[in-house]
Amino acid sequence: MGLKDCHNFSDFRKLAKRKLPSPIFHYIDGAADDEVTYQRNTEAFNEVDLVPNVLRGVENVDLSTTIFGKKLDLPFYCSPTALQRLFHYQGERAVGKAAQKFNTMFGVSSLATVSVEEISSMIDTPKLFQFYYHKDKGLNNAIVERVKAAKFDVMALTVDTITGGNRERDLRTGFTSPPKLTLSSLISFAIKPMWGINYVTRGKFELPHLQDHVKEGTSTATSVGNYFSTMLDQSMNWKDAENLCSKWGGHFALKGVMSVEDAKRAVDIGCTGIMVSNHGGRQLDGARSPFDQLAEIVDAVGDKVDVICEGGIQRGTHMLKALSMGAKACAGGRLYLYALAAAGQKGVERALNQYRVELERDMKLMGCTKISDLSRKNLRFRK
Amino acid sequence: MSLKDCYNFDDFRKLAKRNLPAPIFHYIDGGSDDEATLRRNTEAFSKCDLVPSILTSVGEPDMTTEVFGEKIKMPLFLSPTAMQRLYHYDGDKASARAAEKLGTFYSMSTMATTSIEEISNVSGGPKMFQLYIHKDKGLTDNLIDRCKRSGFKAMCLTVDTVVAGNRERDHRWGFTTPPKLTLKSLLSFATHPMWSINYLTHEKFQLANVSHFTKKGSSIAKGVMEYINEQYDPKMNWQDAEYCIKRWGGPFAIKGVMSVEDAKRAVEIGASAIMLSNHGGRQLDGSRSPFDQLPAIAEAVGGKLEIILDGGVRRGTHVLKALSLGATACSFGKGYLFALGAGGQKGVEALLQRMHDEIRRDMILLGCKTIKDLKKTNIAYR
Ligand SMILES: Cc1cc2nc3c(=O)[nH]c(=O)nc-3n(C[C@H](O)[C@H](O)[C@H](O)COP(=O)(O)O)c2cc1C
Ligand SMILES: Cc1cc2nc3c(=O)[nH]c(=O)nc-3n(C[C@H](O)[C@H](O)[C@H](O)COP(=O)(O)O)c2cc1C
Repeated sequence: MGLKDCHNFSDFRKLAKRKLPSPIFHYIDGAADDEVTYQRNTEAFNEVDLVPNVLRGVENVDLSTTIFGKKLDLPFYCSPTALQRLFHYQGERAVGKAAQKFNTMFGVSSLATVSVEEISSMIDTPKLFQFYYHKDKGLNNAIVERVKAAKFDVMALTVDTITGGNRERDLRTGFTSPPKLTLSSLISFAIKPMWGINYVTRGKFELPHLQDHVKEGTSTATSVGNYFSTMLDQSMNWKDAENLCSKWGGHFALKGVMSVEDAKRAVDIGCTGIMVSNHGGRQLDGARSPFDQLAEIVDAVGDKVDVICEGGIQRGTHMLKALSMGAKACAGGRLYLYALAAAGQKGVERALNQYRVELERDMKLMGCTKISDLSRKNLRFRK
Repeated sequence: MSLKDCYNFDDFRKLAKRNLPAPIFHYIDGGSDDEATLRRNTEAFSKCDLVPSILTSVGEPDMTTEVFGEKIKMPLFLSPTAMQRLYHYDGDKASARAAEKLGTFYSMSTMATTSIEEISNVSGGPKMFQLYIHKDKGLTDNLIDRCKRSGFKAMCLTVDTVVAGNRERDHRWGFTTPPKLTLKSLLSFATHPMWSINYLTHEKFQLANVSHFTKKGSSIAKGVMEYINEQYDPKMNWQDAEYCIKRWGGPFAIKGVMSVEDAKRAVEIGASAIMLSNHGGRQLDGSRSPFDQLPAIAEAVGGKLEIILDGGVRRGTHVLKALSLGATACSFGKGYLFALGAGGQKGVEALLQRMHDEIRRDMILLGCKTIKDLKKTNIAYR
């Protein structure tokens, strides 16, 4: 199986599974507790059907959309995800360049393995920095300044990881960052020698945004759940978010808003966008899926901030449904992560291109030529 | 396993799977993307139940129904499908003859492998032609005029295929037309020698209706999806549809209408029918199923034009449910295509006979004497 055999999300997932040592694959692939929310995130899309319009003359389709004041060529972007160099030695460099190629936004995690300075010198596509609010206020301030200096366009504060989710697959495989060899993982690393060779020879693994401040995750092996629980500030509240928002002074979003009440409050503190998200099912299992919750949120704040639907997206039609419901754009992690693991930049480019092609085709089949043609009139819920 | 072991859709499908090289079987069997719509098309029928009336002295039920100005002997007919010659060497001839025998419509695709003229020579039964609007407008006029001369009764314009659906099984199997051998498919052709021998020893494969206009698909091996994307006109709009209706001048259906708004528009431009269809789940995955959408359509345009429910029909009871909710008739594709692959004309006849018998028996069990007796009151949603 090679990259050219990958025609969809599950093909990329299959290839990633072959390439990655199993603790790393399961870190991407897994979610919290029984993974009920994780599954529902995708299933939710299947309970609503599309009703197309015909004979509309659909030769040229414009997929561009504007969020956070930036025009993107695509109505979706790459969500920030941690530790990308564990998935492929090119890591964030691959995802960033691929995002640039398709002129969409690139989300960079606080736990990124390539620095914001390097990323901003490398690409000029819109960039989002995902902020984890640490106990160490000095660290928080330092990060804001660096990200400002690196001229990022958007700051997103993640609010759904106040403590680590219970990712049982990571417990079983003993996943830590940087990877620590346990007996059961040893075998898995040994049978994927290419991954091991690349990991060891392609530059030291580091968390450039944090390493001057903390050793966890960089030189001391820690699990991600443990990192959240010990390093992040559990007393973080609305006041802190508001302060961060004004300190940043640019486009600011809360990532992981689910309730209508919180969405309204996000507007009040000055956010210009929110990501309706449950962290890809990796935090609170049983949480509602973003797509199920989307309509309520759009009705409440859709005219005031950019509402982004994030999680569970595996198809162009999933995006069409979210956009029809009123999301300004969609975002996802796994939709490009398996492709990254499968083949680095080439893989991510192939995946992004497939979504683009799917969206274009599906727009035509819907009888729509621009994103603003999509509306709830195109949707019917099953009784 | 042989034809006489085939009692239902699944049996015919199983036999077709044995007979056909895998790329061809999967071309028929597959849908787009995750095939969610493909599955839903049939599942939707299970979301409601039939409620029979008893002691209605049914006797022998009358299954005739009128569609496209023709009386047909049962309320189910053959949807147009491309390239039937790949499924059996008799191709469209087998389907057309079988439909004639059972007294119902046969439909011919623009992408048929037998010509309009040839079919009208072999079958005197009622025939519909399905039009794809190509970028080359001369071809549209040419097809319409030829159908008129050849005695076709009805025409439909397919509108859900402005771009090809994402049929991933075809990517994986390297399905092209005419079939091209790849390493992976070679094995499958080799293990189905009868198919291969028949394919090679019978008349040459060609897209008989369009071959004089385009070489694509006839002499050059082309993916169907590439053909669609290169040849069909994505600018197609309501004026084009109206033009075809006028030029044809007879019973005319728009195939692939799903929204209420579009159904009303079809009435306005003078269509005599719509085929409520998502192309058998082969185009826009996530699209609503025809049966789910039927009540809304029937309410909006029932009585103003004929409503053909197309997609997911596997059983006589499916037909009865659709008719109860306001469809004039049903049509199906995969149902008869698997029968064609399983046994040519004999296969399609056997299948149509089974469907005929099912509809008849189920009408008796429902207590309905005529098609008109089928009403909403026969249906209960769960
Ligand atoms: C491997 C992995 C790592 C992630 N790391 C982060 C992170 O560092 N910060 C963050 O805010 N979200 C992180 N997320 C969540 C994503 O930003 C996003 O919310 C989620 O992936 C959406 O669900 P999807 O994968 O179904 O698209 C991560 C997700 C995955 C799968
Ligand atoms: C193999 C195959 C080829 C088809 N070719 C055409 C075609 O050329 N033109 C068209 O309008 N519809 C075509 N269709 C769609 C059918 O007309 C019909 O809408 C569909 O098969 C109905 O769904 P069902 O297969 O569940 O009965 C095709 C369907 C199949 C399965």
